[in-house]
Amino acid sequence: MRFPADPDDPDHPATTGVRPFLRATGPGVPHDPPPAQLPGPAPGEPPPGEHATALRPFVITSGRVAAADPDIGLETQVSAHPGAASARLSPEQRAIVHLCGEPLSVAEISARLRLHFGVTRILVGDLRAAGHLDVHVLENDFPDPETIMRVIRGLRSIS
Amino acid sequence: MDFDPFPDRRVVGTARVPGAPQRTAPPVPVKIIVAGGFGVGKTTTVGAISEISPLTTEAEMTMESVGVDDPGQATAKTTTTIAMDFGCVTIDQTLKLYLFGTPGQSRFAFMWDDLVRGALGALVVVDTSRIDDCYPAVDYFERAGLPFVVGVNTFNGQAGYNLDEVRWALAVREDVPVLQFDARFRGSVRDALLVVLDQALDKAMRMRSS
Repeated sequence: MRFPADPDDPDHPATTGVRPFLRATGPGVPHDPPPAQLPGPAPGEPPPGEHATALRPFVITSGRVAAADPDIGLETQVSAHPGAASARLSPEQRAIVHLCGEPLSVAEISARLRLHFGVTRILVGDLRAAGHLDVHVLENDFPDPETIMRVIRGLRSIS
Repeated sequence: MDFDPFPDRRVVGTARVPGAPQRTAPPVPVKIIVAGGFGVGKTTTVGAISEISPLTTEAEMTMESVGVDDPGQATAKTTTTIAMDFGCVTIDQTLKLYLFGTPGQSRFAFMWDDLVRGALGALVVVDTSRIDDCYPAVDYFERAGLPFVVGVNTFNGQAGYNLDEVRWALAVREDVPVLQFDARFRGSVRDALLVVLDQALDKAMRMRSS
């Protein structure tokens, strides 16, 4: 999903909803993390340890950060595919398959294994491609009215 | 016959045959976002209604810095790791509601499309003593077209301003509900979430009829 409009775009200045912070003055914003994307070994990159907290998790994914499947969201349900041999999986991958005996959300996998969500998402995508996991992708982006009504009724019954 | 040759292998409950097809169909997940500045009670809100103690996941968020100093400067985008608390409520065996608490940073318009994709709506938690902490969240949801509700958390006894003043300060549209709730109490959080769900239902009806 993209923003309908960029408030910084001079051709389409934001009209409603411009709150004071958009106009306020203040110190500039630090630009220290490199403009996102590949934390793989690149020339001029600081030695491991300096920005280790940001980079190290992605060692588990062989340095990949970008190729995450957009179908896999925080709440997406994942379950282990019965019968797939797990002999050649990494410890993290094996832990994920082990956790998913019952359906579990990607966010819960990430929290329980203390893996960064981005890392979890890539590993889950890999395991899905390799046939170890079933990822239950929803068909429509926004839930239908009937589903919302069920949530409303369910919440109302909570005391 | 009394003799049981395999006393340890009696099946209790449902048998699970190796290689058998899927045992439990996964529930359909739906999610509501609980947003707001640091320390306004997002985790308290999630914890008040969640059936599990809130869990934490760390995630990348793209931060689009707002060029406040130098309007000519190109907008800088950086990524930062944020901690997100979440919980869930099982509606029934086939439906599960997730609540994700997300931090909002002043001076940043955060964009994280993954978070709002498929979300029903958002509850923006406001502490009236630091009302501007929630501006980024309000801006974000407005631009993303996500239904949201402003919830003034009265956990410190009473709100410092009345709701009309909060609405005026936030300059939200007329149809955005501004309400008071107490993040510590399940019933109060439930009622606030029901208002979010009403907004979501409106949107779903509009989408269906169009």
